Amino acid sequence: MNDTHYTTIAELGALYRKRTISPVEVTRAQLARIEKLDGALHAFVTLTPERALADARAAEELLKRGDDRPLLGVPVGHKDIYMTRGIRTTGGSALYADWVPDVESTVVSRLADAGTVMLGKLITHEFAFGLQFPGHKFQPARNPWNVAHIPGGSSSGSGAALASGMVHGATGSDTGGSIRGPAAFCGITGFKPTYGRCSRAGVLTLSWTLDHTGPMARTAEDCAYLLQGMAGHDAKDPASSARPVDDYVGALVGNVRGLRIGVPRNYFFDGIDPEIATAFEDALATLKTLGAEVRDLTIPAFDLARSFFLIMVSEAFAYHEKDLRTKPELYGDVLRERLLTGALVTASEYVQAQRVRMQTCAEVAEAMKTVDVLATPTTIAPATPFKVAYDPELAFPRSNMGPFNLTGQPTLALPCGFSKSGLPLGFQLSGRAFEETTVLRLGHAYQKATDWHTRRPPV
Amino acid sequence: MTMDELRARIAAAGVTIPENRLSMVRKLLGDALAPLRTVDSRTIKTLEPAVTFEAAGPHVGVKS
Repeated sequence: MNDTHYTTIAELGALYRKRTISPVEVTRAQLARIEKLDGALHAFVTLTPERALADARAAEELLKRGDDRPLLGVPVGHKDIYMTRGIRTTGGSALYADWVPDVESTVVSRLADAGTVMLGKLITHEFAFGLQFPGHKFQPARNPWNVAHIPGGSSSGSGAALASGMVHGATGSDTGGSIRGPAAFCGITGFKPTYGRCSRAGVLTLSWTLDHTGPMARTAEDCAYLLQGMAGHDAKDPASSARPVDDYVGALVGNVRGLRIGVPRNYFFDGIDPEIATAFEDALATLKTLGAEVRDLTIPAFDLARSFFLIMVSEAFAYHEKDLRTKPELYGDVLRERLLTGALVTASEYVQAQRVRMQTCAEVAEAMKTVDVLATPTTIAPATPFKVAYDPELAFPRSNMGPFNLTGQPTLALPCGFSKSGLPLGFQLSGRAFEETTVLRLGHAYQKATDWHTRRPPV
Repeated sequence: MTMDELRARIAAAGVTIPENRLSMVRKLLGDALAPLRTVDSRTIKTLEPAVTFEAAGPHVGVKS
């Protein structure tokens, strides 16, 4: 059997239907790869080989009967804040270290129904917020491009597992960049859909008004396939949209000629690493050669985006307050104090932060009347070394991703280069609410014209 | 934000934050509050409407 660790979802499906390989063979190969690599990368917190092989056998039977659903037999991992019935869900925390839910998150259930093969649960920053510091119950995932660097967070295991070819798709969640940060740091592709597009039912909460769920993969095309299986209304999530689900895969075809791309030149470039700035401008140049129009913009409210943290931490404290007051020792060092910061935000400050958010939404909506997509660097620096990330004084660095959690816009993060030290660099494309198809089509066109997403780490 | 202001907030909230984390918490809070202090609280957008009647759920006061 040829090496299929890095095949795309579409390629995998074609191989299955030609009977070149079978889901069971691919699943065994993936489990062997995990066995070989995960001792150094720590992407998985729980492996489910028996479940994986059972899923693969079921997919194999369905394929024999002519079932042509695109996610059939595709090996995936789930971020460990997605509840899985009968399989422990730790949230990356000692607090839930042995918790086995009796319910399943809607997204996990939908992806299972679509025929995916569940390989296991992927480590997350603790409660999708705090990197595991030394001495923690759980090991943090490491970046396959350089294990001395973090893979980004909080969907850290998802990023590391995809970059190292251990899974073909993964789930992530994104409250302030937790899908897009790992995408940027690991050289993979992550998609935060519109707020309300994918259900959060059965996913541990960080911040209700900012939490998004979404797919992580190696290409925009694979994200489209996964999103197709994940998206849709769910009455169990109060924020879930009843809008019909678009044809994300079908929308990938077609050119991007005439698409208007706006580049907000304020906020996103403050303190940016020159290598990322250059890679970003190169990406814009590529998009221009594909026929897109690129213009600069200024959206003043983005300069107020750091107030995003007040919303996130206030809501996170509201969620965790009881456990923080009664079992503080079970929270990771540093994360505990980060969460407690939410207790120090006054009601007035929380309200003002939400008002600033409304201002941001209004200004962005106005800008989106003149452009179809916003393009920005995903991060202002490549993956952070662990020795820097372990400094509590790093606090919560200024983020290029949080602004799009405030606005709820669909935002795709994808690779656009490498630093001289060999670390991936990325940029993000944000569309109008519920215009996932536009963003995915543009990202797919960019990836057809470039090869950054095909580079593999030295694992 | 001064350390005294931070300590006052901690006391008011009734939580305990160890001394070696006060600097981190002050930075977290100070960085996030800074932009709010540049805006005029009387003129930025309000959170209205607080109630809408377009959601799929039951509508308050409207007979189905």
